[in-house]
Amino acid sequence: MNHCAAVKKSVPLTIRSLITLIVITIAIPSAAQINFERLLADEANGADWLSYSGGYRSERFSPLAQINRDTVKDLKVIWAYQMQPTDMSGAGLQETTPLVAEGIMYLTESPSSVTALDALTGRLLWHWSPEIDEEVLHIGFPKVNRGLAILDETVFVGTLDARLFALDAGTGAVRWETEVADNSVGFSLTLAPLVVDNLVIIGMSGAEAGVRAFIDAYDAKTGERVWRTYTVPAPGEPGSETWQGDSWQTGGGSTWLTGSYDPELDLLYWTTGNPAPDWNGDLRPGDNLFTCSLLALDPATGEMRWHFQYTPHDTHDWDANQIPILIDGKIKGQNRKLVALANRNAFYYLIDRTNGEFVHASQYSKQTWAAGIDGTGRPILIPDKEPSEEGTLVWPSLQGATNWFSPSYNPDTEQFFVANRRMGAVYYKADAEYEPGTPFLGGGEQALSGDDASGAVLALNGLTGEQQWEFPLQSPPWSGVMATGGGLVFGSSNEGYFFALDATSGQALWRFNTGAHIRTNPMGFAIDGKQRVAITGGQTLYVFGLNQ
Amino acid sequence: MTWRTTLCLCTALLLTPATWANQPEDNGQSSASPIPAMNETDLAAGRQLFSVHCARCHGMQGDGGEGPSLQRARLKHVSDDESLFEVINDGIQGTGMPGTWAPNDDEIWQIAGFVRSLGKLPEEPMPGDPAAGAILYADSACATCHISRGQGRGVGPELTEVGLRRNAEYLRRSLTNPDADSPMLDSQITGRINGFLTVRAVASDGEYEGLRVSEDEFSVQLRDLRGTIHSFEKSQLLRYEKAFGHSLMPGYLTVLNNQNTDDLVSYLMSLKGDS
Ligand code: HEC
Ligand code: HEC
Repeated sequence: MNHCAAVKKSVPLTIRSLITLIVITIAIPSAAQINFERLLADEANGADWLSYSGGYRSERFSPLAQINRDTVKDLKVIWAYQMQPTDMSGAGLQETTPLVAEGIMYLTESPSSVTALDALTGRLLWHWSPEIDEEVLHIGFPKVNRGLAILDETVFVGTLDARLFALDAGTGAVRWETEVADNSVGFSLTLAPLVVDNLVIIGMSGAEAGVRAFIDAYDAKTGERVWRTYTVPAPGEPGSETWQGDSWQTGGGSTWLTGSYDPELDLLYWTTGNPAPDWNGDLRPGDNLFTCSLLALDPATGEMRWHFQYTPHDTHDWDANQIPILIDGKIKGQNRKLVALANRNAFYYLIDRTNGEFVHASQYSKQTWAAGIDGTGRPILIPDKEPSEEGTLVWPSLQGATNWFSPSYNPDTEQFFVANRRMGAVYYKADAEYEPGTPFLGGGEQALSGDDASGAVLALNGLTGEQQWEFPLQSPPWSGVMATGGGLVFGSSNEGYFFALDATSGQALWRFNTGAHIRTNPMGFAIDGKQRVAITGGQTLYVFGLNQ
Repeated sequence: MTWRTTLCLCTALLLTPATWANQPEDNGQSSASPIPAMNETDLAAGRQLFSVHCARCHGMQGDGGEGPSLQRARLKHVSDDESLFEVINDGIQGTGMPGTWAPNDDEIWQIAGFVRSLGKLPEEPMPGDPAAGAILYADSACATCHISRGQGRGVGPELTEVGLRRNAEYLRRSLTNPDADSPMLDSQITGRINGFLTVRAVASDGEYEGLRVSEDEFSVQLRDLRGTIHSFEKSQLLRYEKAFGHSLMPGYLTVLNNQNTDDLVSYLMSLKGDS
């Protein structure tokens, strides 16, 4: 353990100052001060990776170009880190995106642990593991964690049992802890929090247990809750007319993926998941606002400014919990500020991020449920595509045409890259009765698999949704993509490959077999001026570069 | 389905079946099985559910097909009623037996009760003489492609326990019309996949035909009839095709007469592992 690592860089260690150094270490924050200004500049700064998606626009774009079309053939493993074994049964699937700040890498490990590594060598600096009961509920998803947030000297992590922790970035010591929600009724935290100004913003999972979901903000210093915004309105609130009876109380609308933030508009963008129960819509007639939606919130108060619902009255479990990427560009000759989202329902959407106005939708993957999207953004339904007792075959499967794993946007070329699942499923409808802390589903699916399903990495024109190329994958992927300033797109496959594609042609230029199923997102950083890209395959985090 | 991942939901993830719908209520009692107390109505309900969810593989009477006959007192993967419940609920990893989510716990118990009642039925009778079949097995060079009790070459499926896995009708079809069935495997990653798919690869140095052993976006590995494994970069192949519905096993319809076939089927039925 070396908690001086962060200090070393800035304070020359001379005999004269040795004693002062010890005092300084205790008394003042180290040089690794990651304040809000640094977070705002994260996008442009290729050396660090300070939030889940590598910046508030959620582009997951690394501007570095040392590793490029010409040099990528020399890419090799610089170091690897084997994750810590856990006793918890069912834990061990890794979905983390590491952060890198000032030469330290922070990552989460399943179920909810945090590890700090020296980003130069991969040496372990500290590891923190919360006590989590074996019986922890995680209804509808495995025991995973996708990452953390950082502010000043503190990292923030949500746990499977729905607590939020603030840890000292230097040592892993707990600064504060708070219960976000009650795990015994099915609430759980698997997403990376997002820091905006002095607030830690977090959503949650639980729609498969019939929770009524919300988004919370906590004071980063104290852990006090500052606001809570429910995604399903109570009677009398706007949107409540889209629910009947008591169905809102178990309405779902989980918020289980990290959002984006526009500092100019001062708006927070967060996505919501399916209404509950998942497949039996008879129990909740109406559009079921604000499920399967994009919400724009005032980050200081949580007040909802506008919403856009992608899939009204969803009955296929097509959560809109995908990464909303903030993009700017010309639509019909006019400069627009947009939110781009490749939805699980197989359509690619552009929404005006100033006011929520629908701008564009186009199909990016096989689907058989909608004839198209109308001028207001509402799907034109094809009849008889609802789940049924005897089963209804529909594309995409409930895992969607894409899922939580991240897309990427290159603002220079206006290309949107997304990992695509090509899979249909037979959807079944069944009865559902709400019982707290148990699955509240109303059906299920049998997905087509094996040679009947496949995947791809797609390049779309971000402003038109038109496909530019596809790189086929053997099976429907569970891992995201990252574009870089070197004209590359990094991605990975279930089969265990981490690969680099040429962003213009989609040709594979380089690959590495990690030897295990990959279900994480790539990220990038630089250390001592050398570009690095990282991915986790199985239990091993690999960091690649051109030279040591 | 297969891959329990497909069960997963919103948060979209891999669901360990044990955590799922099942959650067999651990009420502290050692025998939680409701099967002993089941009446005719439960069993009739179980039969009905079985015909919807199971019969396409196990046959309407549970007499087998793509899945094994369940008209057996002793099942391979099942020790007690609870493990039968789990097999039905979760499936059997790495085999063609998928989990099921559609029936609720009570219904799974009813199915399990029906499966238990099948076990009380007499075993399927053999159509011929297994000893004569053993000789035919040796004479027909089946062992050039199959391992049984440690002997032979593993091109097709191992036959050591094929009598537990398949019923007479399926075994007969394997011999007379090998194209008809493709043994499926369940894999955590790809889901339910054809375990013995015939593939053809045309490389610059010649043509290769064999069974797909492994495949990814960049490469494919196949096993030829001699048992040799070949690995190809897909991008280097002139052609690559999957011959769905075409088995590498020769059809024996014209080679074996009816009596021969009955005897050989009987011999295969007698292959039940060590016991
Ligand atoms: C898609 C085909 C398929 C379906 C549908 C299916 N099974 Fe199976 N089942 C199999 C196969 C194949 C096996 C053999 C696994 C092996 O290799 O040991 C099997 C094995 C089993 C076994 C274990 C047998 C043993 O010897 O231990 C039981 C019990 C069983 N199935 C019951 C069911 C029930 C009950 C259902 C319906 C709810 C069902 N299966 C549905 C294909 C299927
Ligand atoms: C040229 C290779 C080859 C020869 C010779 C061969 N088999 Fe096969 N066999 C296969 C392959 C490949 C499969 C799997 C694909 C299929 O089902 O057709 C198979 C499948 C089978 C199956 C089905 C197993 C299952 O679990 O689904 C049986 C039974 C079988 N063979 C028996 C025999 C017998 C008996 C002989 C000799 C009379 C024989 N085979 C000769 C290649 C061969």
